[in-house]
Amino acid sequence: MSKVSAEKQQERNPRGIPKAPFIADVAEFLGPDPNPENALKEFQAALAKYRYMDHNLTQRRRGLEDKIPDIKKTLSMVDFLQERREGKNGDHGDDDLEDDLEDEEDAAKPLTTTFELNDTLYAEAQLEDTDTVYLWLGANVMLSYKLPAAVSLLRSKLEAAQNSLSTVIEDLEFLREQITVMEVNTARVYNWDVKRRRELREKEAKEGQTDVKAG
Amino acid sequence: MRMLSQEEEHDDSAEVTWEDQQRINSFSKLNTRLRSYEEQIQELKQEKEALDDISMELELADEDQPVMYRIGEAFVHMPHSRAIKRLERDLAALNAELEKHTASAEQCEKEMKALKVTLYAKFGRAINLDE
Repeated sequence: MSKVSAEKQQERNPRGIPKAPFIADVAEFLGPDPNPENALKEFQAALAKYRYMDHNLTQRRRGLEDKIPDIKKTLSMVDFLQERREGKNGDHGDDDLEDDLEDEEDAAKPLTTTFELNDTLYAEAQLEDTDTVYLWLGANVMLSYKLPAAVSLLRSKLEAAQNSLSTVIEDLEFLREQITVMEVNTARVYNWDVKRRRELREKEAKEGQTDVKAG
Repeated sequence: MRMLSQEEEHDDSAEVTWEDQQRINSFSKLNTRLRSYEEQIQELKQEKEALDDISMELELADEDQPVMYRIGEAFVHMPHSRAIKRLERDLAALNAELEKHTASAEQCEKEMKALKVTLYAKFGRAINLDE
């Protein structure tokens, strides 16, 4: 088809996903020697590619949607430790009087926590006052960080993950659009072909009748 | 997919223009977005129920007893009043997020309704925009 070379200069979205061609006029698109089966085959191939990309991006999205709550949980715990530490150092901020007293009491006692030793198994632990936390970075790597550094690292990780997620969602929406365009193209070419075949049949039936009459 | 009988077929008088295609694309995009909002709203509602339960428990609990409040994956022992304060903060944040998602979902629904009217007017039975 003469349209093939034009397709090579297709537009792509920022992540390189090609844009689907929109058929303004089916007859014009198919040209003087229409081959609807070929067109439909090409559409199905393009649709298969789009659906594959959609599947991949959906998996990536799920991965990110799982990661983000984890980062948030870690961040909230580290934030809590940081706040507690700041409270101890006399940085009370807007706390009211009652809180001040509690902070002073807290600061003297170690932090008691009940943590998950294993699934459905918890143990009690006393955390000494500390300015260091250890962050698991994945791939069997764990590093120690001072509390403020840990907070800023987790915040930037969270932001990066959220940005990735919105890019993936944008790509998924773009893919959804291209899939819709291709499906509409397929439907229209198919309908056009059905109509054309019917018209041809009707024409042949009429010509058959006139032949009989003439003969 | 629904097959139309010959009488139900639309003839070529309703051609699909580029604007129509864009409306169809928008509808599809909004539909997907709406589904994801509704999922998130469900999750947030469950969290809210849990926090409401905690709030009731804390009201009934002994005020001198320390409370084990969940932060992240572990539980921290804190005095009753501190727990209540933290709960209020968490509840406020959750309600704000729930409101944001509900507003977005309603916006999606509104736009989808407008598109439905336009598309059904032009294409009638040739298009299906409902579940």
